[in-house]
Amino acid sequence: MNHNEARLLIGADPRSASAELAEHLKTCPECAQFQQEMLTLDESIRRALEQGPLGMPAAPVASVTPIASARSSPQRKVANTWSGWALAASVAVASVLVIWALHPTNSLARDVVTHVENEASSWRSTEPAPPRVVSQILADAGVALDMGSDKVTYAQSCLFRGHRVPHLVVRTARGPVTVLILRYETVKDRMNFHEDGMTGVITPAPHGSIAVLAQGNENVDAVAQQVQSSVRWLDAH
Amino acid sequence: MRGARNSGPETPVSSFDGSALGADAGDPVVRLFGSLRPDLLRFAHWLARDRAIAEDIVQEALLRAWRSREALKDQAAARAWLLTIVRREHARLYERKRLELVALDDAVEPEGMPSPPGPDSDLDSLRGAILKLPLEYREPLIMQVLGGFSTVEIAQELSLSSTAVLTRLFRARNKLRALYGLTPAPDDPETEGAA
Repeated sequence: MNHNEARLLIGADPRSASAELAEHLKTCPECAQFQQEMLTLDESIRRALEQGPLGMPAAPVASVTPIASARSSPQRKVANTWSGWALAASVAVASVLVIWALHPTNSLARDVVTHVENEASSWRSTEPAPPRVVSQILADAGVALDMGSDKVTYAQSCLFRGHRVPHLVVRTARGPVTVLILRYETVKDRMNFHEDGMTGVITPAPHGSIAVLAQGNENVDAVAQQVQSSVRWLDAH
Repeated sequence: MRGARNSGPETPVSSFDGSALGADAGDPVVRLFGSLRPDLLRFAHWLARDRAIAEDIVQEALLRAWRSREALKDQAAARAWLLTIVRREHARLYERKRLELVALDDAVEPEGMPSPPGPDSDLDSLRGAILKLPLEYREPLIMQVLGGFSTVEIAQELSLSSTAVLTRLFRARNKLRALYGLTPAPDDPETEGAA
């Protein structure tokens, strides 16, 4: 395989497992770097396609607002010009740091919200989903749910960030809540967020994380805690 | 003329319970189709670039699939089978109505915009750039990345040689590279012609 053939194959299929390509990459650092770049780009392409073309043009970065950072936004007025500029500069630096620190989590929250928006009809289901379907979807993801199956009104195995994940809508006392069991998405800390009339929380789980969203502004922490304790992770998965 | 704009996320996703097919909602095939509908809709939306048209395409595709459901021997192959039907349905529609599917230059951001500030903006810009790819590049890319089709399968479906598909996929990604601030690889316009 020559240089051009390798480039063509990498560009066409960055994950190509061709033995010829592997052989070429051993001796061609330029093509190896090209492959790395293409793999990174391809991951972004995959994420972009999974989100669907809704909501174009681009939404602002801060469209998902972590509740903690929104509450800590400085609101007070400044007394003179110098202190105003100094405060503005420090706020700008702090904001960059906060955005830098929160960005990966924001990105996950945003993907979750976009996914739920793309399946807006899921909120409207009222009839219990067939228990066998629910069990199968959960089993495929290596989890079980310790709650009455009649509470689940929507169950799908959805493509999310390259993996199949259970997408459920569960009836609760405060109305329907959406649950996404994200075995492949690890988060360090719980994160609450608001977006487009939805309130949600992503919490760390023994394997990955769990996202819980509800419509409206009510806190979903209590529901998330219930869901968290109802999910059983099957070790055999 | 109808512009190929994207509808907003508030557009409802119509449910699929088999009633349109005159079938029982509990029928395993109906349940299977219903479970795959979000994937089909996303796929059709990327192809058609219009939510309402995508809904129509999926509805029509599911009707066709229901009528020939006997052909589906293995349920594990249902997703690929349905995606193929959706693609063909889009192709039929595109042939009939191609004059109506105008470019969405006014719906997405211009290519010459400044570098985006963060990963989320990158992703949104990428979505816009993918939408602006000509169908001949966008279609195989969507089939490969979203549909999970191999190069050979795409070639069969699009009646192209494997080399032509490789070239189209290469060019699609190469166009998107520029958006990421990466130097586009030298293109080889001879490749596809030689296929």
